[in-house]
Amino acid sequence: MAGTIRTDPLFCYRMGTSHPSLPEGSATESSSATTSATSAPSAVQAVSVQAIQAARDAEFSAIALPLLPTITRIARALARDDADGDDLVQETYLRAYRYWHTFDQQTDCRLWLSAICRNALHDMRRRTRHEDAVEDAELESLAAAQVHKAARAVGLEDMYDRLDLGPAIVKAIGKLDPIFGEIVVLSDIEGLSYDEIAVAVDVPIGTVRSRLYRARRQLQEALMVYALDAGYRNV
Amino acid sequence: MSDVSFDSTNCEAIVRRMWPHLDGALSEADRAAITRHLEGCGACSSHFTFAQSFLEAVHEAKPDPADFDRVLGKVVRALAAEGFVKTP
Repeated sequence: MAGTIRTDPLFCYRMGTSHPSLPEGSATESSSATTSATSAPSAVQAVSVQAIQAARDAEFSAIALPLLPTITRIARALARDDADGDDLVQETYLRAYRYWHTFDQQTDCRLWLSAICRNALHDMRRRTRHEDAVEDAELESLAAAQVHKAARAVGLEDMYDRLDLGPAIVKAIGKLDPIFGEIVVLSDIEGLSYDEIAVAVDVPIGTVRSRLYRARRQLQEALMVYALDAGYRNV
Repeated sequence: MSDVSFDSTNCEAIVRRMWPHLDGALSEADRAAITRHLEGCGACSSHFTFAQSFLEAVHEAKPDPADFDRVLGKVVRALAAEGFVKTP
């Protein structure tokens, strides 16, 4: 109804039904959906379309763009390469912008964007994602204790307190298998719970734990190598 | 202490629960049992301290903000081609 559209642009552009995981071009743009309500768009309708777009852009600027650092970290972890990761960020935001009307603002936009990011990567690579075996996740805790013993044996027990490992950690996360790197970013940098990650990544909690703990051990081992290569030993 | 789901006197059982404990993913009873064990076991306590230091280092490891500004600029330029106008 034209009167509703003119007085409530946010409602208007949120009337779309497409989903960002669908292939590109499968959705009708919200603005064209609005103008197609009648066969001959009037000047009033043109103004309302502008208002709708401005409202959408304002929302997108306020909600989606501030999450770019988070999505960049996730994308780089998934892509394993900064340049590819940045292309993935761009593709993620293009899709998110096109399908912004489908975003439910009662939900966590980080999770919505990360799902788009993962779908975009899948589409870009057309790869089949292998499912890792869920092993005894607790064994990874034991393995982490062994890493600690090894670190102590070579004088690296206090390396986290005495070394600036930030750049090395960022680099090491980028070298992890993407299915591990993504979960480390969501858990250990973004602070999501196991439950939240399971929903975001669409895997069982047991798989979240297994991947997370294994990734942590691999990171710890990589950082030990880095510290030794850097010549650090507190002995 | 029947609520505790493992033998809280066994160091291996304690260390097996290190990551979920540090992630706050254990039941209150299990968490309390581990805390009590760590208070009296230097070996286990040192493993947990090392792991906690690792988690803190990872949490603080973030790329240079200027790097994000560069990516943001790239994204906003691409969005502009779709008609997007960024608002402050």
